[in-house]
Amino acid sequence: MPPKEAIVLPSVESDEDGQQYSFAVEYIGPPVTYDLPRAVPINVEKIPVAAVVSKVPLSNTEVHIPVVPPILAPDRNRFSKELLLQPTVSPTSVIAFQERVSADTNNCLLSGELSSYESGELAELSNNSDSSSRRLVACSVSNEHWSKLDSCDSPDKPRGSSSLARISIDDDLNQPDWGSNESVLSLDYPSSRVSSLKTGDCNNESNGDVRRPQVVTFRDIESDDGLDEEFSQDEVQAQIVRVKRQPQTKGKKGSCYRCFKGNRFTEKEVCIVCDAKYCNNCVLRAMGSMPEGRKCVTCIGFPIDESKRGGLGKCSRMLKRFLNDLEVRQILKAEKLCEANQLPPEYICVNGQPLCYEELAILQSCPNPPKTLKPGNYWYDKVSGLWGKEGQKPSKIISPHLNVGGPIRPDASNGNTEVFINGREITKVELRMLQLAGVQVAGNPHFWVNEDGSYLEEGQKNTKGYIWGKAGTKLVCAVLSLPVPSKSSNSCGESLNSMNSRSVPDYLEQRTLQKILLVGSPGSGSTTIFKQAKILYKNVPFSEDERENIKLKIQTNVYGYLGMLLEGRERFEEECLAEMRKGRSSKDIEPEAGSSDDADRKNVYSIGPRLKSFSDFLLKTMVSGNLEVIFPAATREYAPLVEELWKHTAIQETYNRRSELVMLPSVASYYLERVFEILKTDYEPSDLDILYAEGVTSSNGLACVNFSFPQSSPDENIDTADQHDSLLRYQLIRVLARGFGENCKWLEMFEDVGMVIFCVALSDYDQFSADGTNKMLLSRKFFETIVTHPTFDQMDFLLILNKLDVFEEKIERVPLTRCEWFDDFHPLISRYRTNTNSNSINNNPTPGQLAFHYIAVKFKRLYSSLTGRKLYVSHLKGLEPNSVDSALKYAREILKWNEERANFSFSFSEHSFYSTEASSLSH
Amino acid sequence: MSVAELKEKHAAATETVNNLRERLKQRRQQLLDTDVAGYARSQGKSPLTFGPTDLLCCRTLQGHTGKVYSLDWTPERNRIVSASQDGRLIVWNALTSQKTHAIKLPCAWVMTCAFSPAGQSVACGGLDSMCSIFNLNSQTDRDGNLPVSKTLSGHKGYVSCCQYVPDEDIHIITSSGDQTCVLWDITTGLRTSVFGGEFQSGHTADVLSVSINGSNSRMFVSGSCDATARLWDSRVASRAVRTFHGHEGDVNTVKFFPDGNRFGTGSDDGTCRLFDIRTGHQLQVYYQQHGDNEVPHVTSIAFSISGRLLFAGYSNGDCYVWDTLLAKVVLNLGSVQNSHEGRITCLGLSADGSALCTGSSDTNLKIWAFGGHRRVI
Repeated sequence: MPPKEAIVLPSVESDEDGQQYSFAVEYIGPPVTYDLPRAVPINVEKIPVAAVVSKVPLSNTEVHIPVVPPILAPDRNRFSKELLLQPTVSPTSVIAFQERVSADTNNCLLSGELSSYESGELAELSNNSDSSSRRLVACSVSNEHWSKLDSCDSPDKPRGSSSLARISIDDDLNQPDWGSNESVLSLDYPSSRVSSLKTGDCNNESNGDVRRPQVVTFRDIESDDGLDEEFSQDEVQAQIVRVKRQPQTKGKKGSCYRCFKGNRFTEKEVCIVCDAKYCNNCVLRAMGSMPEGRKCVTCIGFPIDESKRGGLGKCSRMLKRFLNDLEVRQILKAEKLCEANQLPPEYICVNGQPLCYEELAILQSCPNPPKTLKPGNYWYDKVSGLWGKEGQKPSKIISPHLNVGGPIRPDASNGNTEVFINGREITKVELRMLQLAGVQVAGNPHFWVNEDGSYLEEGQKNTKGYIWGKAGTKLVCAVLSLPVPSKSSNSCGESLNSMNSRSVPDYLEQRTLQKILLVGSPGSGSTTIFKQAKILYKNVPFSEDERENIKLKIQTNVYGYLGMLLEGRERFEEECLAEMRKGRSSKDIEPEAGSSDDADRKNVYSIGPRLKSFSDFLLKTMVSGNLEVIFPAATREYAPLVEELWKHTAIQETYNRRSELVMLPSVASYYLERVFEILKTDYEPSDLDILYAEGVTSSNGLACVNFSFPQSSPDENIDTADQHDSLLRYQLIRVLARGFGENCKWLEMFEDVGMVIFCVALSDYDQFSADGTNKMLLSRKFFETIVTHPTFDQMDFLLILNKLDVFEEKIERVPLTRCEWFDDFHPLISRYRTNTNSNSINNNPTPGQLAFHYIAVKFKRLYSSLTGRKLYVSHLKGLEPNSVDSALKYAREILKWNEERANFSFSFSEHSFYSTEASSLSH
Repeated sequence: MSVAELKEKHAAATETVNNLRERLKQRRQQLLDTDVAGYARSQGKSPLTFGPTDLLCCRTLQGHTGKVYSLDWTPERNRIVSASQDGRLIVWNALTSQKTHAIKLPCAWVMTCAFSPAGQSVACGGLDSMCSIFNLNSQTDRDGNLPVSKTLSGHKGYVSCCQYVPDEDIHIITSSGDQTCVLWDITTGLRTSVFGGEFQSGHTADVLSVSINGSNSRMFVSGSCDATARLWDSRVASRAVRTFHGHEGDVNTVKFFPDGNRFGTGSDDGTCRLFDIRTGHQLQVYYQQHGDNEVPHVTSIAFSISGRLLFAGYSNGDCYVWDTLLAKVVLNLGSVQNSHEGRITCLGLSADGSALCTGSSDTNLKIWAFGGHRRVI
């Protein structure tokens, strides 16, 4: 019998130190048959018998008869003889036992009949304190009895040595064992306990007649009053306990649950889940590092005992004593804020409907929340914001229009006045208040009350007045203990707006946050998408600081562009001069004496000496790389010069030839044409300016933005699914490949993202990097690295083919076959025909569209050859907000499909097939 | 000289360098007559034996909600800082196993953390390419978060590792994905020197780890994705003192041997190696043959205070305890009872060598100590 119990051990939680586990190791070896239920026989033997015992004679000295049966356990043959003898010799045996105990200083028991058996075991235990296996076995055998032991035995604490011995045993091996038995034990615990107590009692009395050893006198002091109390408490507990977790171990009343030392008066810390109490010495071992506050290690992750909710986050003296201030603060913070300790939303019913997590979050984070939300049934009047317990008058006016719970019921507050407010029959107290407030309530009217207190009769248009308008009304309300609107109550519009920006508790944020990784090589436009997302979905896309930085950056950029222009001007000037010289030398014969000197130095590209010096200065700073250091700061000084320069014909001429300046990015003209405005000190960049600007987002390679998609349109019927959807937050993480090496060690950090958006600039097909590789091929290589990275195994990828606008324009001039990857691109329709018949053939795709589809298919084939899965593709024009919006919404759809796939995996493949195809065609 | 000519010359020069490197390698191979294990065996040394109960898990630090990526001990007072995927740094009191600080980071993608020698501040770095310093004594803000007291920005790639220069709270060395290591002055927030980079003879790929010599804090080694480890003198930024070849994969982690004359490395090629900084030789390879073809990467290593034991965490969840002398695995911490449920991602030995802390992808940290020496709590 015993070894089977021992097998259970490995399942014990890791609350003990390694030493104990080493014992467990030895028991893993034998084949684990998962015979856990075998513990039941013990119960069976215990329950019925014990229950009977407790009823039978208490005061009678003839205790033996009812008590004997439990010991007649079928498997304890070893002791049967002894036990059989006991009934008759009970008193003497006790005495004999006492002597024996004192002889070998092993203080086992007083509990009469059981004593010999227990003592035998115990002696063995303490003797072989090193042979782990036997100890464990023994321990599990006597498991049930130990509970008796503890209850009867603890008063003999004064006998120092022996009780210590016992405790040390408890310490080492009892606990895990009990842990394993706990589930079984808990069922019959009270009754078995009762029996043991009674036994003790009887024993006590029987002893009293014969001789009173010291031990017994000690016991008297405490036991008599203690016993009844404990008994009743146990019964009470037994009722509640079925719902909540039971402590794994339990000593006698008032002692520590782990070391079984101490009494009711020693200070103890209580587990907020199972109500286990631990003393000073044990609390740290039993509760570990308290990641969820004061819970036993085994209770971590379980919901707390609701009756202890009030005490959450309130420090006890004990913690303060042996932990420092910082540690205590961390524990209490964890206790208050961790997810497992939060009020389970289903415990709160609003208008007869249990809440879900999101609804509870709405309720708790609204500007005017109901205070101290406790589990229970509530009613909530969404129009006026009235809030109260079900069947009672309103207790508070909270923020109105929260989408929480079901529709309000007429009998929500159990009124019988036949006067209705917003469809709820009001209570007498309210009616009284209305009367005192001067509201006409004759004829059982039905009122419609808004959150500002204005009321009208149902079916009518004009407001009849304001309930809380008069100063006296508030006084009346106070007297009748009815709520009045708080001053801070916001209008509904405001509360809706704050929906997106309000702070969400950490644990909820974790739950609802969907991460999207946006990767792209430099120049792919991923930054633009990121900026677009910020502008699209954030109320304040860029903070003051950011704007200031962006402004400086733009101004620096403009100086940079200007520098490039000046460089170009110099080149053109020289070219022009050389041309002229050549022209002159060929026509050398004709002397142009007067003007030749002038013409020699002047042409359209020449500038005056002052501008020339500025130009040289600018170019010099640019070469030395100090542009950022000097320029934006010195703008005030140079702005007039720049103005002059820009207006100068030489620059204008150069600007007209800007297509020849390779360095000058295409966006430069956007800024240069507004150069005066931008270089003003009070210049404030518009969103569009920011969108066009290069290198403005916190450019260390990584940036992220949290957002949620705004609800499509307010007048649309919002069903609850959509409502929850708006709570879903997305985090767009932009990573630039530049800062991160080729081998992508950093990708591991993103294993928790929901999907990856890979961004490729379509217009790259004819671009070459510094070392002569086609940029499209570079992108392809990068794409291959990312999609085959082990971190992204089974990850969904959305390929965004960016810069479609540039691409469409470019494809007319430069053939797609410029990139060798696309050399088999042979569009069916000749460009010539599409161009000529552009208005007549509407459904013939343009070459741009054809090429886009061609590239998309190329990537899809590549992807499926690498991973065997489908690639989602979308196209995008980075500068058009709608285009970015739809691409990101597409990403959201993919994430949703993922969830669906989890639910309906069988039907998904078809679904996804259509979706991808449709999307790539529909755009 | 035209571009084509230049390219030609460059190619030729590269060829020469490679040839020389190859010859150097062969020469080293010739000179390498034995390794540590061979010599120890010839001297009749026998490997250590470890029972399953000799190394006990005596604390479990729970509190992170994501994988633990990095940890560091204070030199004294038994405190630990750990960085996790959940975007938090937690400072632990290892004795009581309680948290003293939980720092929510502005950038959640943290890769490394370090405790300052005086224990007054912690540093962390990650994908934001910055090293952030938090003073543990500063006041928390309204939301209970500790404000950043200094950011060291200048890296152009992620910060993969950081370590304070021993005995001074004002200098820190970071390694980064931009192929450089940087010595920072924390008081000014500026770079004191940059090791490697474009124009210098530095690493040619991401630097993943640094370790500062405990006995001579001017010397440090760095390990990189270019499969080399380099030894640097922090006063001489211009070039590496020595480059150690040998690994066939990214060098994920480097750690100085306690005596300061050797250092250990762990790599994607599944080996740990021991190098001598004076001779530049490789002293020993620690490699455990696996049945299947998958070679697990070494993700983190730590030496015991005597140097006899090398703790190495592998990507497949193993954590071997090597006998450095005989190159034998004496224990696998990953499969010991009571060990982590996830793989061990980082390791650290307390300064007095009495305890080992392991961080794991199961979000917990565990503290291990030799059985029998200490009674817990």
